[in-house]
Amino acid sequence: MNRENTNENMLAVRNLKVVFPMARGFIRAVEGVDLDIKKGESVALVGESGCGKSVTSKSLMKLLETPPALMRVDGLTLDGQSLKDYSEKKMQDIRGRHMSMIFQDAMTSLNPVMTCGRQIDEMYMRHQGMDKKKARKHTIRALELVGVPEPRSRAKNFPHELSGGMRQRVLLAMAFACMPKLIIADEPTTALDVTIQAQVLEVLRDMQKTHGVSLLLITHDLSVVSNIADTVYVMYSGKIVEKAPMKDLFRKPYHPYSEGLLKSVPKLSDEGKKFVQIPGSVPHPMKKPPGCYFHPRCPYATEKCQETMPPLEKLGKDRLVRCFHPLDNASKEAKTS
Amino acid sequence: MNEKASGNAPILEMENVSVDFPVKGIAAFFKRQKISAVSDVSLRIEKGQTFGIVGESGCGKSTLANAMIGMVKPTAGRVTFKGKNLYELDRKSFKKTRRDMQMIFQDPFSSLNPRFSVYELISEPLLIRGDATEEEMKVRVEELLELVGLAKDDINRHPSDFSGGQQQRIAIARSIILNPDFLVCDEPVSALDVSVHAQILNLLTEIQGKLGLTYVFISHNLAVVKNICDRMVVMYLGKVMESGLSKTIFQNPRHPYTLALLSAVLDTDVEKEKEQIILEGDIPSPIDPPKGCRFWQRCPYAMEGCKNVPAPEVEIDPDHYVACHHVNGFPKTDLPEGYDRPVKSEEKEKANMPHPLKAEENVEDKTDA
Repeated sequence: MNRENTNENMLAVRNLKVVFPMARGFIRAVEGVDLDIKKGESVALVGESGCGKSVTSKSLMKLLETPPALMRVDGLTLDGQSLKDYSEKKMQDIRGRHMSMIFQDAMTSLNPVMTCGRQIDEMYMRHQGMDKKKARKHTIRALELVGVPEPRSRAKNFPHELSGGMRQRVLLAMAFACMPKLIIADEPTTALDVTIQAQVLEVLRDMQKTHGVSLLLITHDLSVVSNIADTVYVMYSGKIVEKAPMKDLFRKPYHPYSEGLLKSVPKLSDEGKKFVQIPGSVPHPMKKPPGCYFHPRCPYATEKCQETMPPLEKLGKDRLVRCFHPLDNASKEAKTS
Repeated sequence: MNEKASGNAPILEMENVSVDFPVKGIAAFFKRQKISAVSDVSLRIEKGQTFGIVGESGCGKSTLANAMIGMVKPTAGRVTFKGKNLYELDRKSFKKTRRDMQMIFQDPFSSLNPRFSVYELISEPLLIRGDATEEEMKVRVEELLELVGLAKDDINRHPSDFSGGQQQRIAIARSIILNPDFLVCDEPVSALDVSVHAQILNLLTEIQGKLGLTYVFISHNLAVVKNICDRMVVMYLGKVMESGLSKTIFQNPRHPYTLALLSAVLDTDVEKEKEQIILEGDIPSPIDPPKGCRFWQRCPYAMEGCKNVPAPEVEIDPDHYVACHHVNGFPKTDLPEGYDRPVKSEEKEKANMPHPLKAEENVEDKTDA
């Protein structure tokens, strides 16, 4: 992988909007999301269930069913190539070859009546025009790379014969099969046990680093992010509320929601019994509050927050935050002066 | 919390409890195969404590909890609740005892009937007991709604109108309406959003303080267990690996499995570089578990002897039990030769293959190489 033009964006999304029309109104699942992923970078999109993170990832792959969903995007470019107006047929060449996706539940995303090997073979046969034998050779190599023991016989197993961790590895092998430019991993470890989660994350990180693939990791678990991401986007109720380099965010979050999320992750180093909580719950997607969506749960909310939605503004180096009262006072003063 | 609990009478005791399940199929019947979900577990839960059960999925933690409250009959051993052997009671007194022990499940949405209103859901246990009037029930339900932090107006709404956290609050209200002493929480927060985890955990601690409940808290998140539990057991494949006061275990974990679990807990602390112990392989099948230490296939310190010699629980510090040859040394009985040699990694890998029944088929696959 050439690393000369690492500053260039691998994926650029501008003003992505997704709306689901319902009987009694609209669900605005994604409201104007901008995403930038550099070459070889791993980016995490963090948010709770219902914040629109999975819808975002699906609409990037154009996997969202339209209708019922309505999707609009001002710009969607993958490695300089605009995918905005691509037809379904053209997208089929892109998917798997240039960008691929890893889903949460390996059992439901693998075909139960095909052997695992066969499903990976298909990738090579479809995208690289290999014959069956050659494809199988590549499949075995791909399984070996993700750390499946005895890949030759595992390739002959059906998905139900493998354990959860092995199935997730098969999905990883499938995603990395054609060495795509971008991999979207939607909650890749949520269904796994902690010790297996550690294994799978290690494989994912190694593969991403050694092959220089860009990664978009979608998760609700901030502790997973700390292990793997370079940049973090925090999403709340369909909008990006904060973007920051991972270490900066964990050291000093600017948005009150990011702060709350970070604090509510229980830590082993904690003493005492009280858990830090964010009051209230995520707003219903059809009844979003006026003004800033987070204000009913925000400890710093003022009248201004109840009326107007704050813009996503630059604050400090490489950081964006959508808040009238960002938590970092030093840079606030720097901005006004 | 810790000091107050010690010295109290036990509310529940388990002695050498084992739970086996039959394996379906003729072949399994003739081979006398069985799933050994819980094997030879003894524990003591004191009144007012929170008792943690930790382990990966499939390690038998839910089966153990079910055996505690009389939902699964153990194949061997005794379960004593408030001095009475739970499985020797007649039907009537069992039902009466059972009122004092309740359970909260993982996924509130699937454990609440979607056609019931909140009132019906919460009052159902009272209705079944059948000694309360409509008026009393209503008062009691409103009382509980307030206790779990829901509004009185919510009484006629249905579960689907609520968020996951609120549904779990309903489930909690429903479980405590009969004033139980003993509450089993089976992964009460793992199906919920991260930002509401803390709300539910704080609510549980608050209720415990008010009503003096004894909790059994099942979780795979060690960070939660650390903050909430007084005592804990770490389970692996149906056996207890380490048990004791949770304070001691977190300060001084000894069993290799506990160490690995602790290191697998991801942190949001970016300053401190952590060394991770990544275990190889998966949790093996509980059909025909290993004869010796059940953890040897994945243990980084496994020795030849671990394969065959069972590791008993030994008290290494006061009130801190560990079942590991590596920590305790091998017992002084007749041991197989070369028992203290480390196991070769290929052998571990072989033992780790997910499907022992499939092993023979894998021989003839040189054809397509």
